[in-house]
Amino acid sequence: MGILDVQDISLNFGGIEALNEVSLSVEPGELYAIIGPNGAGKTSLLNCISGFYRPDKGDLLFEGKNLLRFRPDQIAKLGIARTFQNVELFANMNVIDNMLLGRHHHFKSSFFRNATMGYLSQEESEHRHRVEEILDFLEMEQWRKHLVGSLPYGVQKRVELGRALAQEPKLLLLDEPMSGMNLEETEDIARFVIDIHQELGTTIVLIAHDMHVVMDISERICVLDFGKKIAAGTPGEIQKNPEVQKAYLGEEYESVMEGGTGR
Amino acid sequence: MREDTLPHIFLGKVKKYGNRVALREKEFGVWQEISWNEYCRHVRHFCLGMMELGLSRGDHISIFGENEPEWLYADLAAQSAGAVAVGVYPTNPPAEAKYVIGHSESIFVVCDDQEQVDKVLEVKNELPLLKKIIVMDMKGLRNYTDPMIISFEAVEEIGHKVDENDPEMYYRTVDQLKPEDVAIMVYTSGTTGPPKGAMLSHDNVVQFLNNAAQVIPQYDTDEIVSYLPLCHVAERIMSVFLPLNSGATVNFAESVDTVTLDMKEIFPTFYLAVPRIWEKMMASVIVKMKDATWLKRKVYQACMPIGEKMAEVRLAHQPISLSLRIKYGLAYLLLLRHLKKELGLLRARFALSGAAPIAPEVLKYFHSLGIKVVEGWGMTEETGIGTCNLPGDIKLGTVGKPIPGVEIKIAEDGEILLKCNHIFVGYWKDPEATAKTIRDGWLYTGDVGVIDEEGRLKITDRKKEIIITSGGKNIAPSEIENRLKCSPYINEAIVLGDGRKYLTALIQIEYDNVAKWAQERSIPYTTFKSLAQNPEVYEMIKQEVNQANKDFAQVETVKKFRLLDKELDHDDDELTATLKLRRKTVNKKFSHIIEEMYSTKS
Repeated sequence: MGILDVQDISLNFGGIEALNEVSLSVEPGELYAIIGPNGAGKTSLLNCISGFYRPDKGDLLFEGKNLLRFRPDQIAKLGIARTFQNVELFANMNVIDNMLLGRHHHFKSSFFRNATMGYLSQEESEHRHRVEEILDFLEMEQWRKHLVGSLPYGVQKRVELGRALAQEPKLLLLDEPMSGMNLEETEDIARFVIDIHQELGTTIVLIAHDMHVVMDISERICVLDFGKKIAAGTPGEIQKNPEVQKAYLGEEYESVMEGGTGR
Repeated sequence: MREDTLPHIFLGKVKKYGNRVALREKEFGVWQEISWNEYCRHVRHFCLGMMELGLSRGDHISIFGENEPEWLYADLAAQSAGAVAVGVYPTNPPAEAKYVIGHSESIFVVCDDQEQVDKVLEVKNELPLLKKIIVMDMKGLRNYTDPMIISFEAVEEIGHKVDENDPEMYYRTVDQLKPEDVAIMVYTSGTTGPPKGAMLSHDNVVQFLNNAAQVIPQYDTDEIVSYLPLCHVAERIMSVFLPLNSGATVNFAESVDTVTLDMKEIFPTFYLAVPRIWEKMMASVIVKMKDATWLKRKVYQACMPIGEKMAEVRLAHQPISLSLRIKYGLAYLLLLRHLKKELGLLRARFALSGAAPIAPEVLKYFHSLGIKVVEGWGMTEETGIGTCNLPGDIKLGTVGKPIPGVEIKIAEDGEILLKCNHIFVGYWKDPEATAKTIRDGWLYTGDVGVIDEEGRLKITDRKKEIIITSGGKNIAPSEIENRLKCSPYINEAIVLGDGRKYLTALIQIEYDNVAKWAQERSIPYTTFKSLAQNPEVYEMIKQEVNQANKDFAQVETVKKFRLLDKELDHDDDELTATLKLRRKTVNKKFSHIIEEMYSTKS
């Protein structure tokens, strides 16, 4: 049994079947990628795991606990962090504050305690130190005090990754971390994802569109198409799978699968 | 106590200052202080560690990385062991790094992070003498199994054990040093050919320090920000030699991208920058002012002329009238002080521009702000500084008078010759080039210049770069190029015209500022290329060129120019690691554009 077990999940929006009996299992310490064409249900699946959506059928187990019994904030507390496809940050707060927010669950003293018995600055400075370590890790020192709204999109994505890391998650869900980025930014993020995986040992579930990067960095891949899981396996197996080739028809098959042109 | 080698001077300072702050490094957003004692401990342990790993007198090591305290530890540790440290530019691609590491016959290479390690590993097979790759930051290297890789701490730990068994060993090793031993080797940037390794002895450096201290005093209260590449002799002087001699504090920026922010926290008192950085600073102020609110713009327009007037009066050593003093005081409070603060130069007591020629217009701008930037000139081959304008004795457009101990004369063909007691030992493995450079005790600098009646040196250009037009007129391209680069929209300019009828130029736009300019005018663009090809941008640059042309004689004006549609890059071999132009490569690469400028009839 893995750290995350998705068992026969189905999700419907009215008549539309977003997910149809999808099952997958992520091993601890793994870099697992979910790919598929537009509208395949990748983000829906991620939203089910993080508690945004409630699946109509099936079970979600994280370290043996059934996630369907928890609210999104409780799921975060269990050790699941995520980033969003379209950056969801507090635009009028600076980078440090956005990342400190990620440490919300690690603060021991409550708002009430701070209001009545004096503010625990010692605790905040410990958390600030953790945030600084992540800033160092993601090489964001130069933007420390910048308002997030004023930063370029690629950097905002990095801040969001930083906020997720600040949660010190056991499982990190990344929703298209490379979307909308130029080649250099994509390479940077890919390197950070590898570093997080190797240095911090975090289990990562990665949704991506950019096949080239996914084939390079992930250990196992699951392919969704129209809400159904059509294939799963190592990058090598996926490349050869005829089902996958069919799902991607319309795009130039060779360049996509072999990573010929890459992007 | 001996003071004739750098490690001895270092140990003297350690004894004198003990627990005072020697270095500061920003880590996790906080400035971490390193005392002289700790500095010494790191150097001692690293030195003994390297010796345990096989470093002996006369060996070479390479240091490949950004400025960090570990860079200095490695440098001084190598010197203490009687070995020689060579700096490799962190921006060097693997092939160039291989050249320096291989040519210097380095047995160790000290890398700062994964990026540099990867580059070394790529060329490892062509470096038979290399024994160890010592890494300062092991992040990302967990899965590297190469037995050559060892962490900086591990080497220090080895040295620590040796030190515990025999605490006097380090000091005995240092005492074996002789003043004539080679202390460091600096590879020249190589605008024309492969880089050459200039060897500087302890005696060279000590003599230079003694001479320089007479005119450019540095005190133990001075603050320095180390951010230019330490492989270059200028930054080596700033971050290592001068502070060892004076006890000043060296601050290391958090990363290359945060230098401007860190400057505002440190406010260095002793500051060196290359012309490119001064130009950038000036452009940033000008462009920001164009964006500022109405009130701020008005204040700027009202106060700058007062600053300019003050600068003129001061430079001419004229008496300052009372009304100017009052006006200047107001301008200082309203504007100048804030600009100085914004640039991080509020406390700059001594600001130096060097390593390449700078346009007098840029210097004048800073003088108007009240930052008295002085221009100096020197060669790696004579340990750094040869002539320098001194605070209170500045003439813009010249590089000042020779510092004590330096003698200059102009050869018949205009080349500047230099004689002093700190001329380098020679080029590593290249006696031929050494003999060509030092003749009868005179150093042939390769620069062309004149000495004015006050004894100040004025540099015309590099000897090899002088343009002779088909009309027989000698023209110094760098003067025109620097004038063009005063424009906030021009990043790089290359003036051409050797053997041609008229001058032309290749211009690279300053992407950030031109992009802003285009946005304000709703000119659509997507990339650098599309911006550079835009006809409106061309027209705008044309005005800037015409503006610059006004300052020159008819033959020296740029008649035609083209905008480069790519940014010149070190990786593409168009610039050296110090961002100096490699004219040959550029001329070859863009020959079709150049020919086109000369072929069309219009």
